[in-house]
Amino acid sequence: MRRNQGCNSVEHLLARRQFFAGTGAAALATGLSQTAQAAPPVPTDPLMQSDLLKKSGKRILQIFLQGGVSQLESWDPKPGTKFGGPFRAIPTSVPGMHISELLPHTAQRMHHLSIVRSINSKINDHRKGMLYMEKGRPTGDFPYLGSVASKYLAGSDAALPGYIHISTRGLNDSTASFLGAQHAELKLQGVQPPSNLELPKDLDEELDAQRESLRRQFDAQFSRRRSNAQLDNYDAAFQQAALLMARKKIFEGGASEKDLARYGTHDFARYCLLARTLLENGATCVKVTHHGYDSHAENFNFHLEQLGEFDKTFAMLMDDLHDRGMLDDTLVLVCSEFGRTPKINTKYGRDHWGTAWSTVLGGCGVQPGAIIGSTNAEGTEVADREVDSGHLFHTYLRAVGLDTFADHDLPGRSIPIGDPAAEEIGELLS
Amino acid sequence: MFHYHTLWTLIAVSFSAVLSAPLNATPPLHEQIDALIEVQPGFDASAADPADDAMFLRRVYLDLGGCIPNATEVRAFLSDPSPEKRTQTIDALLASPQHATRMQYVLDELLMERRSGKHVAADEWRTFLRQSVLENKPWDALVRELLSADGSQPETRPAAKFLLDRELQRDEVTRDLGRIFLGRDLQCAQCHDHPTVDDYLQRHYFGLTAFITRSYLFKDPKTGVTSIGEKAKGDVKFTSVFTSETAGTAPRMLNLPPLADPPAEKELYKVKLEKNVRGVPVYSRREQLAIAMTDDANQAFRENIANRMWALMMGRGLVEPLDMMHAQNPATHPQVLELLADSLLQHDYDLRDLLRELALTRTYQRSSQAVENRTIESQSLEDRTGDVTAEDDHHYSVGRLKPLSPEQLAWSMMQATGVIDVELAETDSDATPIDDAVQKHIETFAKVFGAAGQSTQFDAAADQALFLRNGNLIHSWLTVKNGLVASLQKLDDPQLAEELYLRVFSRMPNEQESSRVADFLNSSSDRPRAIQQLTWASLVSTEFRFNH
Repeated sequence: MRRNQGCNSVEHLLARRQFFAGTGAAALATGLSQTAQAAPPVPTDPLMQSDLLKKSGKRILQIFLQGGVSQLESWDPKPGTKFGGPFRAIPTSVPGMHISELLPHTAQRMHHLSIVRSINSKINDHRKGMLYMEKGRPTGDFPYLGSVASKYLAGSDAALPGYIHISTRGLNDSTASFLGAQHAELKLQGVQPPSNLELPKDLDEELDAQRESLRRQFDAQFSRRRSNAQLDNYDAAFQQAALLMARKKIFEGGASEKDLARYGTHDFARYCLLARTLLENGATCVKVTHHGYDSHAENFNFHLEQLGEFDKTFAMLMDDLHDRGMLDDTLVLVCSEFGRTPKINTKYGRDHWGTAWSTVLGGCGVQPGAIIGSTNAEGTEVADREVDSGHLFHTYLRAVGLDTFADHDLPGRSIPIGDPAAEEIGELLS
Repeated sequence: MFHYHTLWTLIAVSFSAVLSAPLNATPPLHEQIDALIEVQPGFDASAADPADDAMFLRRVYLDLGGCIPNATEVRAFLSDPSPEKRTQTIDALLASPQHATRMQYVLDELLMERRSGKHVAADEWRTFLRQSVLENKPWDALVRELLSADGSQPETRPAAKFLLDRELQRDEVTRDLGRIFLGRDLQCAQCHDHPTVDDYLQRHYFGLTAFITRSYLFKDPKTGVTSIGEKAKGDVKFTSVFTSETAGTAPRMLNLPPLADPPAEKELYKVKLEKNVRGVPVYSRREQLAIAMTDDANQAFRENIANRMWALMMGRGLVEPLDMMHAQNPATHPQVLELLADSLLQHDYDLRDLLRELALTRTYQRSSQAVENRTIESQSLEDRTGDVTAEDDHHYSVGRLKPLSPEQLAWSMMQATGVIDVELAETDSDATPIDDAVQKHIETFAKVFGAAGQSTQFDAAADQALFLRNGNLIHSWLTVKNGLVASLQKLDDPQLAEELYLRVFSRMPNEQESSRVADFLNSSSDRPRAIQQLTWASLVSTEFRFNH
């Protein structure tokens, strides 16, 4: 197994941060900060890595375009070709890089981001495609990206649960796998504060602490010589509840008029504003799901509408992360479970397509302004630098400093963090 | 209807007679199960002791009756010297109306995933399920009703809910037929043969679709009532997205032979399909679905329900996940699964009989606490995540913790806090529907704690913990007049601890526990408040949250 390749080690990242500490936050995210420096070896024990990483303050913002965004109407436009559809390509803030005209605001922020245009994940099923993106493996029981981030990036004194997902649909996914319930996603139903954040009227904090302590005494006794995974899971939910109660002010007030004027007044805008607040207040990984990209019919109208919502909001969020000096420590991902067929079907729709599609990432030391790989002229196949969701998973986690060729160290077994059959996209990581 | 439980009681009572019977007589199912479980290498070294009486009683009340026992029942059971008391309790519970309520919830979760009413009201559906369990309707008969009812007559409407409330959506119904009745989630096979599961083929998926593809929802223009009509023609074709090959299939159950339509009669319809007239064909493919699904040849049908009943009692399916039965995901104990499925066939799909046999096994009645200071030879110490190992779990050598379902949790909390006595004061007959207030509380719990479909997975979430910590409902149960907290206020320390433990944990406290309760109360300056805190902490504890 390969280890220690590339130079995106924890020490390197830390050194870089110290190096730029005096130069002002704005300079950090301009893409000039790609110093080449010989890196000492990464500690291969993930627990040791973790101690360093937790101090590094790295975060992840994950925006999931649910349903499968069309690469042709977003990151890999092919205007004027057989399958290209009606939309034009426009120049971006990166010379020579063009994206769909449906993303005019994002186009002006592409110097913070890079595009991967050559994904062949070979999966056309929504759930399986999503799981592959989240787990970095095509099958099997593994933790989601956010749960891995929670485990290795969030300190034990974290102010908020390590992995928070903002979405109003679906049930709770089982995300933590063998990492344990405290790293499972906390699902927020949109910007609604969780119910029951307030103590019952006749209890104060001291009395509440007393009854919590009693609860733990009962549980400690019951857990003796019993199977502990489910019991820990139950206790973790109480711990998450306590964190939320302590930080309930986050949910008060909602977004300001000024922010809404910039981001928009739709749900996705409000979710992104909440995501910004959560990241500022100590969340380690925040996932926002933007629904409605499964355009089997009327693909073009759908994308006009959906990306119209996405574009300005996302651009404003990028500006804010940048202006607040957070982009250097925040990995930003815009992902999807697959792309959409080049071939336009009889209902002006595009169907599921895992064969040749694109995604975007930036921040946290990811080489900005890059284009990785390409598809052929009609967009039907990957032409160059084929990667899959396993490569992306490695790339994301190496960007935040985790050695993905190290193992999750579990009682009695070791499980590689990333799929050993894949590797990071090295040229994206400096 | 023949009552198996009387027969089985007789057998159990004359247990020694069975033992002295000729060697070639088949031992009862529960003994056969235990023999297969206990023959595993290394089993004896790690096997937990039998559950003590209190643990057994709570467990069996929850599993068969859906609720913890009350303090009187616990006291009576603990002081009963009869060696037959476990068997007697199992039989009494299975014959009780509470069992019908318990299975009503289990079947609703399995069949409708707790959907509310769309075309068929939830309370009609619940009554139908409850009645079916009360008369011990065999599983195959129930499923035949569900799949063949067209909902055109008032008496068949509840049974038609399975199809009606899924709007007869072709793909949704196909997938659910596979998942719920055959233990196979064939969703991936909709577009192509499954890439990683060799057993899941596209023709299996469309073979099921072919049974229902001619059926459609018919809304009567006069009454506005929606029922199911059927055309006499219509086939399914499918194209693989991988190979672009197109094929068709007649209706079929997985790998069983496809069913050809009979030669066409001159008249295709009993009631000719017209605008505003519900079509009824002479040959109904949907009727064939009901027949083929429940046919003796359909092994998958009985293995599925056997696996689900095992999971209900033991906390985990012999095959997990419950809807991923295929050759590459074999049962942990294939012979046990076969035994259960065969037994269902021999006993006309009598689920009550199967539950009884499962409850009688030593496997079911084993303690959830590992034996103290045991030596485990097959494993290194590092291999042990808790005191109970993954291997114990796999072997069923230690009783598995089962999270209470939302319905069990709601009933049990109401039982423990004394709310149920207030709410159900006047309910005593089998036929009485569940009290409205109780039903509302149960629905609240289902919303907070429910997941879709029968699953053995446990995922506690922060909103559940917040509900338990701060929610008004739980808080109101702690302050209810004549409830648990109110009665504890009147007691002295030793009696208080005993009453609390009996009512909440369904067992007597040990000395250490009694003195800890006393210490806590004595250290508090506000005794009434401290009693309330103690009660809350016990109700939200893991000992209460799990069936153990």
